[in-house]
Amino acid sequence: MLERLRKRLSRSSHRPVFPAAPAGDWWASLVLPEELMARARALRLDDLGHGYDRFGMSREGVAFAVAFVDFLYSHYFRVLSYGHENIPEEGPVVLACNHGGTLPLDGFMVCVDVFRKGPLGRVPRTVVDHFAPLLPWVNLLFSRAGAVGGSRGNFHALLDAGQMILVYPEGVPGIAKPFSERYQLQRFRAGHAELAILHQAKIVPMCVVGAEEQWPTILKLKVHLFGSPYIPVPVTPVPLPVRYHLWYGEAIDVPSRYSPEQSRDPAVVQELADEVQARVAELIAHGLSVREGVFT
Amino acid sequence: MSTLVTGATTPLGQRVVEMLLESGHGRVLAVGFEPASVVQFDSRVVYRRVDLTRARQVRELMHGTVREMNIDTVIHLAMHRSARFDRNKAHRLHVDATRLLLRLSESHPTVSRFVHRSSSEVYLSRNDQPDVLREDQPLNLSVKAGQWIRDRVEADVTVCARMGLSPTLHVNVLRCAEILAPDMGSQLHDYLSSRVCFRPLGFDPIVNLLSLEDASRAFALALHAKEPGVVNIPGADTLPLSAATRKWGRDSLAVPGAWMGPMYALRARLRNSEFRYDLNVWRFHFNGVLDGARARRVLEYEPASPVQWPEPVFG
Repeated sequence: MLERLRKRLSRSSHRPVFPAAPAGDWWASLVLPEELMARARALRLDDLGHGYDRFGMSREGVAFAVAFVDFLYSHYFRVLSYGHENIPEEGPVVLACNHGGTLPLDGFMVCVDVFRKGPLGRVPRTVVDHFAPLLPWVNLLFSRAGAVGGSRGNFHALLDAGQMILVYPEGVPGIAKPFSERYQLQRFRAGHAELAILHQAKIVPMCVVGAEEQWPTILKLKVHLFGSPYIPVPVTPVPLPVRYHLWYGEAIDVPSRYSPEQSRDPAVVQELADEVQARVAELIAHGLSVREGVFT
Repeated sequence: MSTLVTGATTPLGQRVVEMLLESGHGRVLAVGFEPASVVQFDSRVVYRRVDLTRARQVRELMHGTVREMNIDTVIHLAMHRSARFDRNKAHRLHVDATRLLLRLSESHPTVSRFVHRSSSEVYLSRNDQPDVLREDQPLNLSVKAGQWIRDRVEADVTVCARMGLSPTLHVNVLRCAEILAPDMGSQLHDYLSSRVCFRPLGFDPIVNLLSLEDASRAFALALHAKEPGVVNIPGADTLPLSAATRKWGRDSLAVPGAWMGPMYALRARLRNSEFRYDLNVWRFHFNGVLDGARARRVLEYEPASPVQWPEPVFG
């Protein structure tokens, strides 16, 4: 163990892992194995000369965030995932996922999972609620790791640039639903379908099984701290160590079925959104049927 | 082709004039507030001292020299550069002069193109707004915005409101990213003049910076814009505020956000400095980078010249 630590220390002190922004990479290089550091270095980034893209994402930031939540991914939630081959290696992609579990830990797990096992060089840009940029430090962690505020302008810019975005079409009602309604999808909003058609992005329906049992709440305080919709009061002080199962479904080939002009037709957009919801519901039903228990 | 450049004595104005001459653009009429005796321009440039806040002087310019020189393009760069400027005079220069110049250009027998310099400060910066700002993003019309911003928004909207109304005048508004250069009215440049630059604790927004070279090139390209309308002009440098501070050779120190206003108000009072935190509070919290897609299409503009960062000093 000590020898491993010494090797990593010597590795991080001899060469900068990220030439553009070498200052903080040593921490990530201590925690992450070389294989994941190599993945971070291989990340496709629209680098504008200083190691950051227009949204503030940096390779160093992604590595730092992965290192930050890797314990949760590997040891606490012991994430298992299936169907990475369904994630396109190129072009704009919308990952549409169910949402739940009081805190959006499911988003972190999906990002880490795609980073670790998905196509090399890609990481999903998580779309976070409007209050996230108001949170000190949290906004920095999110921004550097690739998360963006949930505005249409950001969607347009990311999909235009051929990026992969992770959306929760259920929105806040998804994460706010009571424990008794776990895995019952709220009506999907249609914005993701409209933008996928407009930007000719493939949609990968996916589900997270496990997250919706991780942290039952007993109360929602109507306190809008930093603009958040509510403050949850959970049953337990920390999330339960449930096992996460991530299922990536077959991609919906939007470009071959729709033209960009059809994004202006509400009926077509709603039809696609309903199809995505049905596909996610199927994945959830399958994931629930094959898992052996909440913690296993 | 012949061009009138207002604000020609500013660093941007001088560079635009130079660029027009270098490209063999024809005759250039440079207008500034400074007396001709203290201004140095190439012999091919005609310089006129005009106070743009005086309507009579503007009329005399447009009906006199502009007509005589057969000017066909007006590049309006004049803008108040000091946040401590007299409020009424700043408004007259920024808004009233712009409105008058535009009106006179619309009815002018020789002028067929009007290019207005605006800035990224006109955009609303808020947590629910995108990080990448396109031309159709909301403008900052908040009553809480200082006059510095309100004037810029009003001038921008004044020009935008006239687009397409005159059948003969081709109007472009260039919303430029922050030009990090002295004497350009850059709040960030004044902010970086301190040895230690403070920023709000827990925030480090992404800023986009434009060099004088790129800005002047954009204005030169605007003379051949394929279509009228608003165009964002982003710069080549996109980086966090703290990284920009360090690259400028300063120390970046995060302090509680509530301290920032009083600290910089005190600094402005003691050092007579320009930077006002109340004008910059939101962009010191949230990312705001101009999207250059329209500039690529309409002007064929791509940012190419990074900011000239000072050489690092060691030891």
